[in-house]
Amino acid sequence: MMNSDELRKAIKGYILSEFLPGEKPENVTDDLPLISSGVLDSIATLKLVLFLEEKCGIVLEAHEADKENMDTIDMMVATAQSKQK
Amino acid sequence: MSVAKASVSDADRTTVSWGHYFLVLAQLGLLLLLMRQFQIESAAFLRLAMLAFGGFAVYALLPMRYRLAFFAGLSIVGTFLVLGYANAAWLIAIGLVLIGICHLPISFTLRGVVLLIVGVILSMQRAKLMPFPWSEAIWPILGSMFMFRLIVYFYDVRHDKVPGTPLQAIAYFFMLPNACFPLFPVVDYKAFRRAHFDDDAYRTYQVGIDWMVRGIVHLILYRVVYYYLVLAPTEVTGPSELMQYLVANFMLYLRVSGLFHLIVGMLYLYGFRLSETHNRYLLAASFTDFWRRINIYWKEFMQKIFYYPAVFKLKKLGTTWALVIATLYVFIMTWFLHAYQWFWLRGTMLFVAQDILFWAILGVLVVINSLYEIKHGRARAIAKGERTAKDLAIAVLKTYATFWFICFLWSFWTAENLPQWTSLWTALGGTWTLNVLVWPLIVMVVIFLGLLPKDTLRNTKLSGQADKEFSRSRAITIIGLVALIVVSVESIATKIGPQVASYVHSLRSGKLSRLDIAKLEQGYYQNLLSVDRFNSQLWEVYTKKPANWLDVEFANLKHFVGGFLNEELKPSFVSNTRYGAVTINRWGMRDQDYAKERSPESFRALLLGPSTVMGWGVSDDGTFEALVESRLNKEQAIAGIKRFEILNMAVPAYQPPQQIPAVEKGLGFSPDAIIFGATVRELTRSVNFLAEIARKGVEIPYPELRQIVQDAGVTKGMGETESEKALMQHKERILEVSYRHITALAAKQGATPIWIFIPQVRDGDWAEETPDALRIARAAGFITIDMSDVFKGRKPEELKLAEWDNHPNALGHQLLADRLYTELMAQRESVFRRANTN
Repeated sequence: MMNSDELRKAIKGYILSEFLPGEKPENVTDDLPLISSGVLDSIATLKLVLFLEEKCGIVLEAHEADKENMDTIDMMVATAQSKQK
Repeated sequence: MSVAKASVSDADRTTVSWGHYFLVLAQLGLLLLLMRQFQIESAAFLRLAMLAFGGFAVYALLPMRYRLAFFAGLSIVGTFLVLGYANAAWLIAIGLVLIGICHLPISFTLRGVVLLIVGVILSMQRAKLMPFPWSEAIWPILGSMFMFRLIVYFYDVRHDKVPGTPLQAIAYFFMLPNACFPLFPVVDYKAFRRAHFDDDAYRTYQVGIDWMVRGIVHLILYRVVYYYLVLAPTEVTGPSELMQYLVANFMLYLRVSGLFHLIVGMLYLYGFRLSETHNRYLLAASFTDFWRRINIYWKEFMQKIFYYPAVFKLKKLGTTWALVIATLYVFIMTWFLHAYQWFWLRGTMLFVAQDILFWAILGVLVVINSLYEIKHGRARAIAKGERTAKDLAIAVLKTYATFWFICFLWSFWTAENLPQWTSLWTALGGTWTLNVLVWPLIVMVVIFLGLLPKDTLRNTKLSGQADKEFSRSRAITIIGLVALIVVSVESIATKIGPQVASYVHSLRSGKLSRLDIAKLEQGYYQNLLSVDRFNSQLWEVYTKKPANWLDVEFANLKHFVGGFLNEELKPSFVSNTRYGAVTINRWGMRDQDYAKERSPESFRALLLGPSTVMGWGVSDDGTFEALVESRLNKEQAIAGIKRFEILNMAVPAYQPPQQIPAVEKGLGFSPDAIIFGATVRELTRSVNFLAEIARKGVEIPYPELRQIVQDAGVTKGMGETESEKALMQHKERILEVSYRHITALAAKQGATPIWIFIPQVRDGDWAEETPDALRIARAAGFITIDMSDVFKGRKPEELKLAEWDNHPNALGHQLLADRLYTELMAQRESVFRRANTN
């Protein structure tokens, strides 16, 4: 099981490589709203959900793929860890 | 550039300084003035806005713990203010029952079943299959409050870890602006709760004002399109008109985006920092992009309730298949829910081929786009990077192509029927001039200018915005607000120029456009209620019309006789309407009884015309005809004539060519004069009538009219738009032939032909055909009496029957009678001459 820092790093790396190639890593902060700001759309959100499920061995529900759970990297980490408990 | 850390103190989140408080209030005062100057929406909305802005003055000073209760209470008060006590009480009661069902102490499945049962009962009542004790007026608002938000609410009650409170539920469903707007954005319940004072209060209020101004600008631009740019399909005769039609038709959407900005802006005043409703939808570069930018709340609603649940269920099929099936599912549901919305707002089902095809086509295009994005990704950025000229050119071209394709699809979606849409494209065979480039160039310029600033991050925290940038944006809003108010002041606009003043004046009221007025008139004349599906403005007028209005009371007034005449008034028919008795005599005239034979000392005139002349909405003795006849008999002003008889042969929905057989029938009464009551759009109505007759294959007994139909190439079974377009080119000839037939019949009888023009009770474009009709009448040999200005100086509200019915009321008929009498007396030598009669 990954700790929160490792998970945070993994998520950020995935987001940068998959959706924001060429973006400066320092621009993607842990509290940057990715969905509500329009950076990530529904397709990207679903890809992130699959990534998290695979990485953390969790199963997310449809209602958990919303802004409240997946808008920022911090939220994604919190969601993943709450599912792991 | 990443979003700056937004650390807002609790104090900043909930309170504002006195300076900011009064600054906001001052802007709200200006906003109210702007709404009043431009008559934004309805009088009810202005009252609601006053309540909202006045309420804000108290709200912003309240301790945080009382604010939600205050908002909920104000929303309830707003509902009562707009709907009236009884209607509001019923609406709230029904709403509370629906909310209560979501919290019953039974399983969610059972709660869903109960909701479904109640929904079925309500829908049967909406469809008038079951009785209901409340007014029909509440249905559109009840629908707009609950038809979608109940789905979201139930979903969140089921899944949200943080339960809502009753106050939040009441505030959510009855939220303040909703009482005025049947079309309302699908606000998400979670977002509504979470967004309440989640950012700097002052900035939230300011953005609310910003959005309300933006909304009003959209609504004013909508009026420009609605009054001046929209064309009827029959007016699309060439490629340049086609370009205008496509653009204007799509740009009518400005009404929706305007209203939504206004609504959400108002919610911002109460601290609800919701996300944007639209994101520069004219600048969509693909179909998926368009779906993401237009009506964002709808997209998010579909995503939450349908898309994600479908994808998650279908994940085992693989991501691509799951996304494809879920996307198609979303578009099927979008189609269904639009029909469902239509049902609640209008009370009828919407199953139209274009509707189904439109969503199917858009769904397939979005799927194709999505598959492309899955494979190739799409350009995303956080910081505004460098963009080359080539990048910009590609973006402009993609956006341009998307815009025109959307216009094309939109024209298909909004067409009244498929034949009408296909007939539009025959315009490509028209004359190609340089004018055809006008709209494509305007669109290109707008897109280029719109794409110059790169897209920024959306919905970012307001507290994170740099002060300078925030202040600049707000300054632009305030300058715009003041500029609009200034230009709306007539004395100032006149100084700029009389044409400017006239133009601004025309945009300052929410009247119906010339095309909609024609449709409203068509509703009377042909007893049609087939209002254009997407025409919310005309529909809003129609929804106010009571179910038992005059057209229902007059339902048995006419009977079908077939042939060119088509229908006549039923002889010996009496109806008691809300405006008095309507009596049809034994001859089928809305008049007292007359002997067939004219007595030698009488002067007899036939009066022809449509519903206004018949006296729609006034009693038997209140029609202008009855008043003139009575006065003529009382004043006995013409030597040698002891008795005056005006035989009212007018029939609702009769068009000029139909008056020929009507006169032929009337000659049996030995008239000394034939008075032809002309009303608005004589030429267009003649064309529409002849087109309908020709399409139906009805025999045309007049060789000249038959020839015109032949020359125009109109055949039996041809589409409505196509046949009208074809005959429109012959409109003057059609009216000439009709008028000449009548004057020839009059001459044969030795009767004096008199043409009287009866205007609409309000100013408007109805007068555009009057000069031509007058000229044609004179050339045909009529004595003409033009009463175009008979209602000048009077407010339309004084003279018309109702908002949805522009027929003149009793006062209108009195004015017509007084004027007609004066005019007849002024020309007495020619009007009352006795020629040799048979």
